[in-house]
Amino acid sequence: MLRPRFEDHLVIGKYTGKVIIGVGLLMAIPLVTSLVFAEWDTAIDFVIGMAACFVFGLATQIACRTDKDLEWSHGLVVASGSWLVATALGALPHYLSGHEGSYLDAMFDVMSGYTTTGLYLLQDLDHVSHGLNMWRHVLTYAGGQGIVVIALAFLFRGTAGAYKVYVGEGKDERLLPNVINTARAIWLVSLAWLAVGWVALSIAGLALGQEPVRAVLHGLWVYMGAWSTGGFAPQSYNTMYYHSIVYEVLCAIVMVAGSFNFALHWAVWTGKRSEIRKNIETVSFAITLTALVLLATFVLAREGVYSDAVILTRKVFYQLASGHTTTGFATIFSRAFVTQWGPVGMLATTIAMAIGASACSTAGGIKGIRVGVIARAFFHDVRKMLAPESALVRTTYHHIRDVALEDPIVRSAMTITLAYVVMYLVVTVAGVVSGYPVVEAAFEGVSAASNTGLSCGISVPSMPAALKVVYILAMWLGRLEFMSVFALVGYGVSIVRGR
Amino acid sequence: MAHRKLLAALATLVVAAALAGCAETGTGSAVPNPNEIGSGVLVEHMKEYDGMTVTFTGEAIGEAMVRGDHAWIHLNDDAYYEKNIEEGASLGGQNSGMPVWVSADLAAKIQVFGDYKHGGDVVRVTGVFHDACAEHGGDTDIHAESLDVVRPGRRVVDEPKPAKLAWAVGLSVLAGALFVAERKSAGALRS
Repeated sequence: MLRPRFEDHLVIGKYTGKVIIGVGLLMAIPLVTSLVFAEWDTAIDFVIGMAACFVFGLATQIACRTDKDLEWSHGLVVASGSWLVATALGALPHYLSGHEGSYLDAMFDVMSGYTTTGLYLLQDLDHVSHGLNMWRHVLTYAGGQGIVVIALAFLFRGTAGAYKVYVGEGKDERLLPNVINTARAIWLVSLAWLAVGWVALSIAGLALGQEPVRAVLHGLWVYMGAWSTGGFAPQSYNTMYYHSIVYEVLCAIVMVAGSFNFALHWAVWTGKRSEIRKNIETVSFAITLTALVLLATFVLAREGVYSDAVILTRKVFYQLASGHTTTGFATIFSRAFVTQWGPVGMLATTIAMAIGASACSTAGGIKGIRVGVIARAFFHDVRKMLAPESALVRTTYHHIRDVALEDPIVRSAMTITLAYVVMYLVVTVAGVVSGYPVVEAAFEGVSAASNTGLSCGISVPSMPAALKVVYILAMWLGRLEFMSVFALVGYGVSIVRGR
Repeated sequence: MAHRKLLAALATLVVAAALAGCAETGTGSAVPNPNEIGSGVLVEHMKEYDGMTVTFTGEAIGEAMVRGDHAWIHLNDDAYYEKNIEEGASLGGQNSGMPVWVSADLAAKIQVFGDYKHGGDVVRVTGVFHDACAEHGGDTDIHAESLDVVRPGRRVVDEPKPAKLAWAVGLSVLAGALFVAERKSAGALRS
């Protein structure tokens, strides 16, 4: 194992600093919000947060001045390392607000935001400032695009190695030949949806009896929570607060759209509408969501939880779609998963969360493309067994273009799927060891690791600190899909043990 | 050897900072719940209380969302219903409460709703609890027949803390100085 050279540290420090400056610039949005609403104490929190980010970012720029470009290992380390530093510094406004029980809780919330998970330990959400609520939702919106993508789009001018950081953040689709243009295309799609979604939800809020300013703010925040598949909401009641099927339908449309691959969005954007029904990810998503909704509907109907079929379907579809897209919005109380839905309903939701939505989207989980590839590989093997020995059996799948199913693709899908399954087991065991029943431990653990954010009541400020740390790590690993985190660990080990 | 010692010192520092970060600041308030049957009990035992008439007291938060001749309000009976964090309440866990469906006339009695700048009116309602309301898409709610304001709400002033202000000024000056230094060093390298 080779010990990193001094130049390697410089490159990593330089680009990590750039990303952190980006995080500081993001804080301008909640700062302005606080100033507009005369929330002076909150505004100071954001000045401190911004200044801390700039101090770190500028100090690393000065200390790590180099012309060397990024290599693959650097890109991975920068991506995973930036997320850790961004979490530590992004937690400052949360902690300074006085609404967090500890700095660890603040970091939990910020990692949950960046990773678009949506679990939170913040206390008395119903009394937090507009500024802090804006920061929570900007975190999750920015995290959905990828904080590195933001830095790529706006701060990394013409860096050839930028693609390596982009991949390190769990995205590997090139919508356009140039990665920086790809990052900008992702932003173009997101901002177009933002305009439409924000307006629609604001109008809905007004029609539902919200005051105009609150309707507009809630419209923006709920949109951000839905599009980023983050699941943060401005009130502790989450989307149950609105008591409206119209609001639920709008949320469902935005969260399903947010869970689609950016490459799929770009294909539709450029006129290839048929991609929606042909893409392996949308097909896989439709099949697994339908199966799980049917399972949960059958079980809850048998239990007689809801009085009629329409209500039953509405509740089941919303929670399951929220789980499957890894959003985490809910229109039932957290504990209702345990007290109303019971073990089978929770199991169906857990499976939905575990699978997750599309790769290269804002969503988490194993991802539809891997489930689709593994299913195709299974049927390919069955066909091969049944075919004559001399027959050449060929299988393809459609993802933007027709792709031949080859062993390396299947192996890669299986490897990452296995890594997710192991992580789901580890977080479940961690929950059981902390004293929670196994079904609840699996539900909450998978929710954290798949970046979903649905809760059955385990994620509260009084939960064991060790379990908070496990969930933070699971959110981070799940969002970055392991490789860049392993690269960071390898980097740390090589500093100590390398020659 | 010196390299390893430096790494060990850094690791110790990180672990110490992490442990300090885990230190909790007063979670677990002793504020008694205003209800005999609180929201926590209702949610944990939904089926048992379904269809029963309950009296529920809590702070009105957010707003009244008027829908025709009725309105949705939300009453929190958590650790912050009397005093919120901005007013100096200890941390007492996350919010907890109940959605209430009430006539718009009764909802109009509520003058102040809780948010960052307000402690909301504390309100007592009596009505029927539904674990999955057939009239409201399966939502858990209380259909209230009476509503009284038990304690009026108030404006909350969150004064800027001088210590925070000092940190903000200090860090901003430092960030400004680093910006100038970074520009100068970048310029020097270019020339």
